[in-house]
Amino acid sequence: MAHTITEKCNGCGLCAKLCPVSAITGEVKSMHRINVKRCVDCGVCGKACSEGAVLNARGQEVVRIPRQQWPKPVISREACSACAICVDVCGKHALAISLPLRPGDLRVYAYLKDEKACVGCAMCAKQCPMEAITMEIAGGEEVPA
Amino acid sequence: MMKPRYAVIDLTTGQVTNYPISEEMVAMYLGGKALAARILYDELKPGTDPLSPDNILIINTGPMNGTGAPSSSRFNLSTRNVLTGGIASSNCGGTFGVKMRKAGYDGVIIKGKAAQPSYIEIIDGEIAIRDASHLWGLNTEETQHRFDNRYGMLVIGPAGENLVKYACAVSGERVAGRCGVGAVMGSKNLKALVAYGTQEIPVHDRQGFKRYIKEWVDFLRSHQSTGQDLGLYGTSGFLNKCNASGILPTHNFKEGSWDKADMLSGQHLAENYLTRNSGCISCPIRCERRVMVEGKEVKGPEFETVGLLGSNIENSDLGLINLWNYHIDLLGMDTISLGGTLAFAMELQEKGIKDFGLKFGETGNIMDAIYKIAYREGDWGELADGTKTLSERYGGKDFAIHSKGLELASYDPRKAVGMGLGYATSNRGACHLNGGYTAILEAIGAVPVDPITTKGKPELTVFLQNTLEAVSTAGFCLFTAMTMISGFAFKLKPSGKIVGLMGGCMLSARFLLRGIWNKLPGAMPFNSKYFLPHVEAVNLVTGLKMTSGNFLQIGERCYNLERLFNMREGLTGKDDDLPARLTGIPSDPQNPDTVVKVKEMLPLYYRTRGWDKEGVPTEEKLKQLGLTR
Repeated sequence: MAHTITEKCNGCGLCAKLCPVSAITGEVKSMHRINVKRCVDCGVCGKACSEGAVLNARGQEVVRIPRQQWPKPVISREACSACAICVDVCGKHALAISLPLRPGDLRVYAYLKDEKACVGCAMCAKQCPMEAITMEIAGGEEVPA
Repeated sequence: MMKPRYAVIDLTTGQVTNYPISEEMVAMYLGGKALAARILYDELKPGTDPLSPDNILIINTGPMNGTGAPSSSRFNLSTRNVLTGGIASSNCGGTFGVKMRKAGYDGVIIKGKAAQPSYIEIIDGEIAIRDASHLWGLNTEETQHRFDNRYGMLVIGPAGENLVKYACAVSGERVAGRCGVGAVMGSKNLKALVAYGTQEIPVHDRQGFKRYIKEWVDFLRSHQSTGQDLGLYGTSGFLNKCNASGILPTHNFKEGSWDKADMLSGQHLAENYLTRNSGCISCPIRCERRVMVEGKEVKGPEFETVGLLGSNIENSDLGLINLWNYHIDLLGMDTISLGGTLAFAMELQEKGIKDFGLKFGETGNIMDAIYKIAYREGDWGELADGTKTLSERYGGKDFAIHSKGLELASYDPRKAVGMGLGYATSNRGACHLNGGYTAILEAIGAVPVDPITTKGKPELTVFLQNTLEAVSTAGFCLFTAMTMISGFAFKLKPSGKIVGLMGGCMLSARFLLRGIWNKLPGAMPFNSKYFLPHVEAVNLVTGLKMTSGNFLQIGERCYNLERLFNMREGLTGKDDDLPARLTGIPSDPQNPDTVVKVKEMLPLYYRTRGWDKEGVPTEEKLKQLGLTR
């Protein structure tokens, strides 16, 4: 399963830049391609595409969404075990483990350190073993990961 | 069950072929060091020089790597041991193993030797051998900075390139330290392996597994050891206890305690150097130390490093150890073997046998020596051959602190005699972990087991060796087994009657253990979160239906197979020994029993293992374990 790019692509390169797993390649102003072995079906490419040139794994066109409405991870401090799987899996390096508040403080947790870098791919939420991460859009509405 | 995918990479020809692993092999060996031992036994020609192109290096994972299970990023390197000539298995908590699985491979079997410096790239299920001329000579940090930082990496430093016998391989800041695996990579002109991919790690029952590991993580976090102590003080939190118990190696294992030990403790580190704690990916225990060195935050030293570069060479400056530890990692060497070798060189000087210009208590030239060793330059370059070779060259075998050629970790076994037996019998040489880590019970843990008595130690050692072997094979960190000691015990008075009784029970269990291991294979027909939470987790991931007994038998099988490998390479029961200092000179002059009576314990150890008087696994035992052909 993977997303695909159609001939509507104008080669702007935005999807390749945003793709959290660097699955998209292509020359500027020519049609881009998605590496099916790499694609994680997060749909970020399609949400960003101004041309409607991205089809999801079921072959449906992915609808463009303004970036401020993309979901962001919200991490439950109670559930998080600071195992850092999310930090490691984030291709955008948007997550980090918090610093202890004082020496000897073991209650640290993952948090969204760089909100601008996050593309809302939800890989963190999918891989979190503690199910501590939900994807929410601004205003608090939860989106399925 | 998904069959693991292994590739054979021949660096001489550049060919990559598949290596089939059957479901039966997974059920018998799971993965990691056990499966690697099987492959090595089948594929490696006996008598192969460890540093020749014909040696085989296996880098592999277990079924748990990358599943999200707690502390499950540990992967394994197996090959013929540079220091001992027997089997080498070296374990690392870096991200390479998980990334290799996500890239579509569970293990690689590396043969031959590349014509020029090379690295192996495993990306999205494709393996390529690439030129590494531009990387050769770089330290482990610089090398890793040359790759995409999302990659899992496993690299060697200058020490591996220069075939330092205890060179290690580094993944991120975590290290596969022991047995000279870095030298084997160097001998193959293999500078690095990198892996990246997004393939899903197979899990048989995903819903059940998610539920299970959440409970397990909560359990680990609520336990005094894994939820508190290891996080607060790391492994060097053991140091004060080791010192008090008299097992902190001092002056090349001459003494078991040191009056300045307090300056080296995990508590001292936490108060003076620690910036925060951290951990391997997927680990909720987070025992890793972060410290400032040369203006940047780097990984702090482990207990074994602190002991061997601290009390054992009579250095009380923990700041220096932080600094050395960082540079030794950059160069790519095992801090345990290096520390042991430095101490041996110091004692050679002290005894007037050979003057390397290294003296106990003198730290000014150590950094220089570390670099000279890594580059094999000048007189100090000789130290790159390790303690055993030096003792053969110059003498001093009585105080050459190694077994089978591998230097002892930072636990003096004379006041933890079970640990001594473990060191002597450990298949990869004197490793505390492969040896069963009995010291945890004898000198460190909350439940005190009489450290001097030999009673019950053979049985306990066999049990713990098998347990750690099995846990490691699945891809787990051994610290996940710390919860076998009930958290309840930590809440009691350390010298109280109840914990004393619990410790006594462990030794009394010898009759049970002896019976189970010899007469009831597959005993323990149960699974319990409080005993070995690993078993149910492995079942949920693989679809196997193991009991705790089955799981431990995998450990036993691996221990026997490694033994067979060692025997084929010429090691015998005579090699199950320790240097005369530890077997003959009491740690406490007032107490003649504070020596490791290896000869006294071995017969029962062999019998408990189902081996004959010479330490050879009996036909019956091999049949029971499915190791006959």
